[in-house]
Amino acid sequence: MPRRSANRSSQPSWLLPFVVITVCLLSGLPLARLLYAGLRFSLEGKATGLFSEPSAWFAIRNTLMTATGGMVISVVLGASFAFVVTLTDIRAKGFFSFAFVLPMMIPPQVTALAWVQMSGPASPLLKTLGIAPPLGSPQPLYSLGGIMLLLGVQHAPLVFLALKAGLAALPRDGVEAARLSGAAPMRVFRDIIFPLAVPGLIAGAAIAFVSCVGNFGIPAILGIPASIFVLPTLVYSRLSSFGAGTFAEMAQLSMVIAVIAALGLVIQQRALRGRDYRIIGLSGQSAAFALGPLRSIAEAGFSLVLFFVLAAPLAALVASSLVPAYGVPLNIQTMSLHAYSEILFRQSVTLTAFANSLFLAGTTACGLLLVTVLTAYLLARRPGKLADLMTGLIEIPYALPGIVLAVAFILMFAAPLPLVNVSIYGTIWIILIAYFSSFFAVSLKPVASAFLQLDPSLEEAARLSGAGFGRRMRDILVPLIAPAAGASVILVFLIACSELTVSALLWSAGTQTLGVAIFNLDDSGSSDLASALSVLVVIMVVILMLALEMLAKHLPRGVLPWRN
Amino acid sequence: MKTLLGAFTALVAASLIAVSAHAENLVLYTSQPNEDAQATVDAFKAANPGVDVEWVRDGTTKIMAKLMAEIEAGNPVADVLLIADTVTLQRMKEAGQLLNYTSPEAANYDAALYDVDGAYYSTKMITTGIIYNTAASLKPAGWKDLTEPEAKGLVTMPSPLTSGAALIHAQTLTGIDGFGWDYYKALAENGATAAGGNGGVLKAVATGEKAYGMVVDFMAVREKAKGAPVEFVFPAEGVSAVTEPVAILKTARNVDTAKKFVDFLLSEPGQQVSVKLGYIPARNGAALPEGFPARDSIKVLPIDAAAAVKNSEGDLKTFSGIFGTN
Repeated sequence: MPRRSANRSSQPSWLLPFVVITVCLLSGLPLARLLYAGLRFSLEGKATGLFSEPSAWFAIRNTLMTATGGMVISVVLGASFAFVVTLTDIRAKGFFSFAFVLPMMIPPQVTALAWVQMSGPASPLLKTLGIAPPLGSPQPLYSLGGIMLLLGVQHAPLVFLALKAGLAALPRDGVEAARLSGAAPMRVFRDIIFPLAVPGLIAGAAIAFVSCVGNFGIPAILGIPASIFVLPTLVYSRLSSFGAGTFAEMAQLSMVIAVIAALGLVIQQRALRGRDYRIIGLSGQSAAFALGPLRSIAEAGFSLVLFFVLAAPLAALVASSLVPAYGVPLNIQTMSLHAYSEILFRQSVTLTAFANSLFLAGTTACGLLLVTVLTAYLLARRPGKLADLMTGLIEIPYALPGIVLAVAFILMFAAPLPLVNVSIYGTIWIILIAYFSSFFAVSLKPVASAFLQLDPSLEEAARLSGAGFGRRMRDILVPLIAPAAGASVILVFLIACSELTVSALLWSAGTQTLGVAIFNLDDSGSSDLASALSVLVVIMVVILMLALEMLAKHLPRGVLPWRN
Repeated sequence: MKTLLGAFTALVAASLIAVSAHAENLVLYTSQPNEDAQATVDAFKAANPGVDVEWVRDGTTKIMAKLMAEIEAGNPVADVLLIADTVTLQRMKEAGQLLNYTSPEAANYDAALYDVDGAYYSTKMITTGIIYNTAASLKPAGWKDLTEPEAKGLVTMPSPLTSGAALIHAQTLTGIDGFGWDYYKALAENGATAAGGNGGVLKAVATGEKAYGMVVDFMAVREKAKGAPVEFVFPAEGVSAVTEPVAILKTARNVDTAKKFVDFLLSEPGQQVSVKLGYIPARNGAALPEGFPARDSIKVLPIDAAAAVKNSEGDLKTFSGIFGTN
């Protein structure tokens, strides 16, 4: 805690070095290590063989194709939901928003598993309904198109959220003026709303693209069985089949992924620039367009879409967790809770996975909070170039595909640590550090926006009456930002619990996470067990989201992704 | 808020204890399916009260990659390996990574089934044959049937990049006269897919996503007994076989428990666990599980183990060149 001399200054002297060092350790160092490895191997001419093999080029092509296709689907789905929910008088907006964002929070490999079980000849659901396709019909999702579709569904909420935030700030008076002068709704949309929405649309599309590039769970479950590899799954399968000998190739492939992702991020930055001009005029809450008789049709349409992207896959997931053997239709006689009792009471591996994921997610969420409260405080009180640089560094690991980050951490920790000569590779600690790095930005955002909304005069008054930094934190700042801190903890916990990509490369004996357990169970042919575990994870996700929803009224705007 | 944070702290503390409590136990790396691995471990624990076993399951190739990375990082976690094939273990023995242990149970085994120095012991025989969905039009009798036009786009197999048994299988089949890699090329041209492990093949065929597959015997036989619409064929040309050997790592932390584990797997009760799970036991005089033909009617194809060790990496690349990029 601060010494006497620090009591009078507004920030203790250790704060700035602490934040800078933490950010460098979590973000700067691993990224520099990856860059160094990739460049060194390239200069040494190692692993050039990789790029002479067709598989790398196929993976690059597949990555670009699936990411582009996924982005287009995301934009179509996300934008139509966003426009209708923000601009019209459709009912149950809160429900639609919540339900539409839910797929984003469900682990991608669970989404993929659920969809596989909903379609194709293997579907217990279709078998039960007696409408399963005939023997040997290809599973339509095991294809580039299938990967695109699911990437699109998974990331549509990103477009929805990006666009909705922008639309909510639309100048209402412009729209009203146009309406009063007799412009038809379509005309208003085309001439006023759409042009103003374009930057948000581009930004959303770019985020969706980057997320599609980095997604691992969907192409892993849909692509690997059909030998369709994208860059992250190629890195994974090479590394897990050929081992450490492929570090050079992996470093280079990771850099290719990073470059593609970075291009998307640059586009997003560009699109968001000059967004401030929108805040002219009042942004009201009243809906701009009354749908009239179309309202029921729109509501029915939305419900139908939600049925197909949410309800039906989840029902299929539940169905396949209840069948006793492959190829058996589900009915009262065949229904069995065997899979649940197996994973809950017999399989030590699922319990380990639960313990690990809860430990990792809990420690990451709470541990990061300590760091982010200090970081957010510093960023709010010392804006400037350094703060911008710090923010950028914190955001890069989150924006980068998980597989790239995992490779960076493997490179950093493959050899025993210098000085102490202890290796954390193969232990749970390497996953924990990678999580700290990956979710720093998620943890920071709610806390940072809470600090920005805080009136500095309160703290100033306390400081003038002689309260030290620790005292001010304890008595004034922390109580005021407590709701945001709670949201930060739950958000990180939620995302970390179902994480797959980072842990897929870093797990080892006894350090399997839930994401890895689901993936491996499905991979070993125990899809009933994988489904049962997935069902439990989905239940957990929904409970955590509802907990956040209950916190919502105490939170700064924009903290909960599905509300604003 | 306080209670929430309190709850999280308690959770974290609880899981920390759970994580660290595993540190002193026997660690098993295995390629058995999850349920079988758990059954094996449970039986061993029942026979040796007070011992705890932590196990990790993945395809042989993947689990070896993980282990090799750990060895390279100076921190191998596993004490005991129970994986698909002796070829991999022979390579580890030559690299000086295995502990020689003479099990008293070895007397009941054919000398061909264990290493002369006791570096590894075969525990069962797992053959790879053809599985087909009972609704399929063709009833395959030999490997070549899978390249017939009727099977176009309907064949699937495990990938050697994941499964040790699949690698041995590919190395065995390519050694038959008139097969070679051309056979796999013909399969690929016929639209066959190769990915993941045996479990995925079983799932695809049993659920009717594919009609034919190459798969390990016990999975198909066992699933048929559970009511799944599948049949298993021992093809005319013969089957490939692996023997799922067990070995102790030189770096094992719990050597005594590891030895007990080896003895248990080879013992009469240990072999009965395998039989109950549907595996052909390796021990002399043990009866075959239900659903199998007589032991001497199964024709096992030979494999040149020395060549297999030497060519493994090249064979993996050849295979992924044929199947990895379509």
